[in-house]
Amino acid sequence: MRVKIRDIIFESPLLTASGTYGYGHEVQNLVKVNEWGGIITKSVTRHPREGNPPPRIVETSSGMLNSIGLANLGVDKYCQEIIPFLNELKTQVIINIAGSAIEDYLETLEILETADGKHVGYEINISCPNVKKGGMEFGVSADMTERLTAEMRSRTDRLLIMKLGPNVTCIEEIAQAAESEGADAVSAINTVVGMTIDIQTQKPTLFTNFGGLSGPAIKPIAIANVHKIAKVVHIPIIGIGGISTIEDVIEFLLAGASLVQIGTMNYQNPDLGPQLANELSKYLNNNGIEDLSDLIGKVKYHSN
Amino acid sequence: MMYHEMVRVSFNDEIAAGIFKTTFKSSLISSISLPGQFINILPEPNWIQVMRRPMSIASQGNDEISIIYKAIGDGTHIMARWEKGEIVDIIGPLGNYWNGYKETFPILIGGGVGIAPILNLHNLLKKKEINHIMIMGARNGKEHFLQHDPKEQIYMSTDDGSLGINGNVVDAIQSIFLNNILPDNAKIYSCGPPLMMEAVRNYSLENNLACDLALETIMACGIGICQGCTVEKKLDKLADHSYRNRFALACMDGPIFSVKDITSCG
Repeated sequence: MRVKIRDIIFESPLLTASGTYGYGHEVQNLVKVNEWGGIITKSVTRHPREGNPPPRIVETSSGMLNSIGLANLGVDKYCQEIIPFLNELKTQVIINIAGSAIEDYLETLEILETADGKHVGYEINISCPNVKKGGMEFGVSADMTERLTAEMRSRTDRLLIMKLGPNVTCIEEIAQAAESEGADAVSAINTVVGMTIDIQTQKPTLFTNFGGLSGPAIKPIAIANVHKIAKVVHIPIIGIGGISTIEDVIEFLLAGASLVQIGTMNYQNPDLGPQLANELSKYLNNNGIEDLSDLIGKVKYHSN
Repeated sequence: MMYHEMVRVSFNDEIAAGIFKTTFKSSLISSISLPGQFINILPEPNWIQVMRRPMSIASQGNDEISIIYKAIGDGTHIMARWEKGEIVDIIGPLGNYWNGYKETFPILIGGGVGIAPILNLHNLLKKKEINHIMIMGARNGKEHFLQHDPKEQIYMSTDDGSLGINGNVVDAIQSIFLNNILPDNAKIYSCGPPLMMEAVRNYSLENNLACDLALETIMACGIGICQGCTVEKKLDKLADHSYRNRFALACMDGPIFSVKDITSCG
């Protein structure tokens, strides 16, 4: 069940999705954080962010819309308060970085690089739909993705993973832009832009009108995007989007993902990752599959 | 400390019109729960929705924990149909708890979905022999399951006057304490539907009364991760860059807030 991205080994292909597991310390009493293949921490930004006014979340059919607005304590406090905790973990830690301008991303990265952290990489959120003049502008443009990836690549030897979103015309071009400038992997997908309206008040349910849809409702969109990317890049893909069962994990692997992240369903079951890791190992045994690579990208097309 | 526990339903019945009480056999969560805290419930395995349902604890102890809730949505309708013996997946106890009642004369006000934490506090105060009154509001008498018992300082109010005091819970306070003369150190503890809470909040502000409210917000994780259950705090000035300053989380910083700290009941 081990998977590698470049030279970094993950004991299982199941990782937490950023923003759905906090920094790991919130749940340490409740679950076995170290039984995940890795944890990807909630987005950190150059400065603390209060986030958006309420309502920030709403439940939808088999999913939820959120517009948290990247509420986080900022990179300086992150280095003081969070990194010491993360350094104690036995699982691989990847720090998710967000920003609203290229300088924000770079400064945040530079500060994290000087911190005494054991984290193995960075996931760069260039596709958050909930921030004004936000990361989305990077994520929708191949040129900006290329520039940001190159700038970040020149500043770190740790894993560099660009997180892509589905709210674009051509996700393949953006994935290729990341690959061409030295990203070690891409993760996909971030949330899908959505909106709900309260028919009693006739107001949007979320304060910010639009939010990001996640959960099982978006899984087919995620599978399609992962597969599109898999057809054009050679770097590993980390699949994200509505995973709640072992069948979902297998589906992402067949579509071309080498690893997956569990997101929204952590809220329902914080033990889901370790549970699915056990089920994956059983699935591989029961089906005589020796290596995950026998599944990755092995979707069989209809012959005609 | 919190637990993820599989608990067995030992009682589940409709105790008033549309209002259900469920008791679970719970050795872990019941052992550390305090009145005012809540649990986050998965209504059924493999549930099609993504969010658990947060429910305030109505009683705890002796390896049992109970909740009282209105069956109004998809989750609570499933819960209302739980059979005795059914195994349910819950996380808890979560959030803060009722506090600071020792030096006060507590006026407890509950209604609708807010009955559970108020009843829990009432039983706690009784046990601690702290003199207090309890007012429960409802639209009509059928929604009440407690007796209107002024001798015991337990008052029911109904919007239609069919049981107890005619009117809402603020009308009830005013008819109990004539001319608004309240006991020294009176402090309100309240939980209920948003409109009721807003009325209680206004009453406490107008009369300069201390008041703690247990708020209900939409909630995904219940453990401080999703940052979705935001409550806006009253601040004199806002720092340029801040985090959990203007916005508190109902699951971690609440669900109980002092009226002086918040801008509305959500």
